[in-house]
Amino acid sequence: MMDAGRHPNIHLLTYAEVDEVSGYVGHFHVKVRQRPRYVDVNLCTGCGACAEACVFKKGVPNEFDAGLSRRRAAYVPMNGQAVPLKAVIDDKACLFLTRGKCTQACLEACPTRAIDFEQKEQIVELDVGAIVIATGFEMFDPRRLSAFSYGKSPDILDGLQFERLSSATGPTQGEILTSAGKKPERVAIIHCVGSRDANANRYCSRVCCMYALKHAHLVRDKTGAEVFEFYMDIRAFGKDYEEFYERVQEEGVYFVRGRGAEVQVREGGQLVVKAENTNLGIPVEVKVDMVILATAMEPQPDADKVAPIFGISRSASGFFQEAHPKLRPFHTNTDGVFLAGACQSPKDVPDTVAHASAAAAEVLSLFGRGEVIISPTTAQVITEKCVGCGDCVLVCPYSAISLVEGKSSVNAALCKGCGTCVATCPSGAIEALHFTDEQIVAQIEGVLAW
Amino acid sequence: MTETSLLAEIRQAVSESLDRLDGVIALRRSGTGVAPHLFQRGDDLSELVIEPKYPLMTVVSRLHKRFPEIRLGVVARGCDERAYVEMAKRNQIDPQRLTIIGFACTAEEAQECYCSQPYPQKLVVGQPAPAGPVNPLVAEYDALSREERFEFWRRQFVKCIKCYGCRNICPECFCEACAMEDAAWVEPGLLAPPFPTFHLIRAMHMASRCVACRECERTCPAHIPLTVLYDLMRRDMEALLGYVPGADIDAEPPLSVKLDKVPLRQDVGV
Amino acid sequence: MVEFEPRIVAFMCNWCSYAGADNAGVARLPSPPNILPIRVMCSGRVSPEMVLRAFRAGADGVLVMGCHLGDCHYDSGNHRTLKRMPLLRNLLGYVGINPERLRLVWVSASEGPRFAQVTTEFTEKIRQLGPLSAEVSHD
Repeated sequence: MMDAGRHPNIHLLTYAEVDEVSGYVGHFHVKVRQRPRYVDVNLCTGCGACAEACVFKKGVPNEFDAGLSRRRAAYVPMNGQAVPLKAVIDDKACLFLTRGKCTQACLEACPTRAIDFEQKEQIVELDVGAIVIATGFEMFDPRRLSAFSYGKSPDILDGLQFERLSSATGPTQGEILTSAGKKPERVAIIHCVGSRDANANRYCSRVCCMYALKHAHLVRDKTGAEVFEFYMDIRAFGKDYEEFYERVQEEGVYFVRGRGAEVQVREGGQLVVKAENTNLGIPVEVKVDMVILATAMEPQPDADKVAPIFGISRSASGFFQEAHPKLRPFHTNTDGVFLAGACQSPKDVPDTVAHASAAAAEVLSLFGRGEVIISPTTAQVITEKCVGCGDCVLVCPYSAISLVEGKSSVNAALCKGCGTCVATCPSGAIEALHFTDEQIVAQIEGVLAW
Repeated sequence: MTETSLLAEIRQAVSESLDRLDGVIALRRSGTGVAPHLFQRGDDLSELVIEPKYPLMTVVSRLHKRFPEIRLGVVARGCDERAYVEMAKRNQIDPQRLTIIGFACTAEEAQECYCSQPYPQKLVVGQPAPAGPVNPLVAEYDALSREERFEFWRRQFVKCIKCYGCRNICPECFCEACAMEDAAWVEPGLLAPPFPTFHLIRAMHMASRCVACRECERTCPAHIPLTVLYDLMRRDMEALLGYVPGADIDAEPPLSVKLDKVPLRQDVGV
Repeated sequence: MVEFEPRIVAFMCNWCSYAGADNAGVARLPSPPNILPIRVMCSGRVSPEMVLRAFRAGADGVLVMGCHLGDCHYDSGNHRTLKRMPLLRNLLGYVGINPERLRLVWVSASEGPRFAQVTTEFTEKIRQLGPLSAEVSHD
């Protein structure tokens, strides 16, 4: 990330969102909404003095620690590891920006006078030749499955929360502690929370088995606690993955083949996991000090709003749809728009690197050629027949048709060849190349000759 | 209002509007008969008539396209205005360059046309008459069995001489190339024209465009009751998609937009 | 007496229903040979003219098959199909052709069993209705 931040050809627009995309491959015009940081990035050194001085001491849940710690309204994101290393003021938390009442201690505290409450939102317009979407994922919210009692005890954690707990930059500097501040003696890890589940997501989230094994390994290593891992299958599909699974077994983790069905919070806060040990055919109940829910990766919650901005579609699971699941997993059906990483489907790091590198290579290849090869099965207007009624303009899902001097015109780079315009035109003034009405009628007559 | 005083008022309205327009389209009676005419400043308006009913919006459209700067007025009945709405929506008439001088049809005319709205919204002359009844043929039609329906249309369509009068007179049939003349869909050289393609292609095209002006039926030399079929389509268009052609210039063509803009109002069992 | 074998023209969209038919074939699920497939890229390509032409050319039944709503490979081509076909069905009924001879169904690429079921049911329905030529006399 730091390398990307330093590269002269990479221009980072942080705290920004794409509002609008128009154009087509090689000629996209993008409007980006740059939100105000209320910090002048040319002056800010990322020292964090504003955060220390911030009057809102109670703060809000820190997103970077998955809610396990709190931060103030002024802060340097990612626990001081942001790229670029600059502060930002959260305009939903800041007392001055929300209520107009604050001593604004941050203004004085900043050694370079970088804080600027006058900053406004800006629209940045960019002309680009290709777009790569790498918007990532969201963790499944276990509150949707009440059996796991998530939220009813501070010692029931989801996958990302445990990552933060065991991270050296996290809320406990990497020590695995229960909410009572002690090392746990018994930990349960439950697989497939929010995946492989008709009540949540049917798909397998691919990464959870391996990260659950990693969590088990970390617990054993750092605390020596007993670990019970409740699983349906162990999906250790990658290079050295099976070997790691064997190692974790040898480290003494108890693997119980049976979906963790329920987490109870009993009197005094005692956590109990109930499951069926399907190998033995008996129900089991285990009292533990900490439960880690191996939660699934899900599409970002705004994926349904983001997809139409780029003219792409989503799969049934909600992730952005690839052009072909096997042969073109990082292309979309919109030329010039590519997918990188978990926004397309759950992926771990090696898969994401491969996927993203492929998308980057495809962009380079596109630019290197300087030409786009398009499918010949596009629509074409027969200008003499067109009376400019505009129905075709309305039906095109790709906005590939426009009226030019009163007649329709198809942008062959945008046209995907669906033919809906052809069926809509009452004059037959648009034809579908290689799928013409005459060809189809010939087929109709041909099959009925039987 | 008597007919002559209605006419006098219309002529007066036309005369006043000619001060700011390049011309007004209306019917003119001359020695050879009645025909659409472009009345201009200084013309004798005593020859301006309003009968027989004729779809003048087609003339407006032709002039708008031929002369991109021309500013016109038109003497219009309710159906003319509805026709204008659907034509304007489809870029055939420029609303910025048209002044509608609307007048109300009489109660007798409303009955003759089975018209549900015998006056334009931009009403300048006359008082709205009550709506005419629904065509009794349409009213009986639902009770007919499938065989009876087929027999009804078989006897009607066999009379068709493919004069294309229905298409030629229809204000909404402004296409340069017509599907009914497209050899891909309609085999050429057959009389009576091929069933069901010839007649139903037109009916499907009319589904989102027919404004019930009745000109097709009035023109048909074989007296085929085409409006029965088109009234049934209009009824479906309203029930299924909530769309009435000619009612609202801002309503987008329902068959062309996505379901979130114009949803289906009935479960069609897919 | 030769038993009537329905001839059914089935317009199938390339990405969903045509792939669904393929899926049925690969899974060895029986589908009647009365179904005569015509591949189009999207069900939105199927115009009312095309359906009428199929009836005119001798089809006893017409199936229009596309992607489920929300799954259209071209985003919303099937929205237009969903609006056109019910209107056309009713219109057929108004001129005395049994509207059940035209059917719109959504079949996705993985729904081989659904393809087999829908085509079998539709063929039986048309067999019961009899040949179109018995309902109308072509001139």
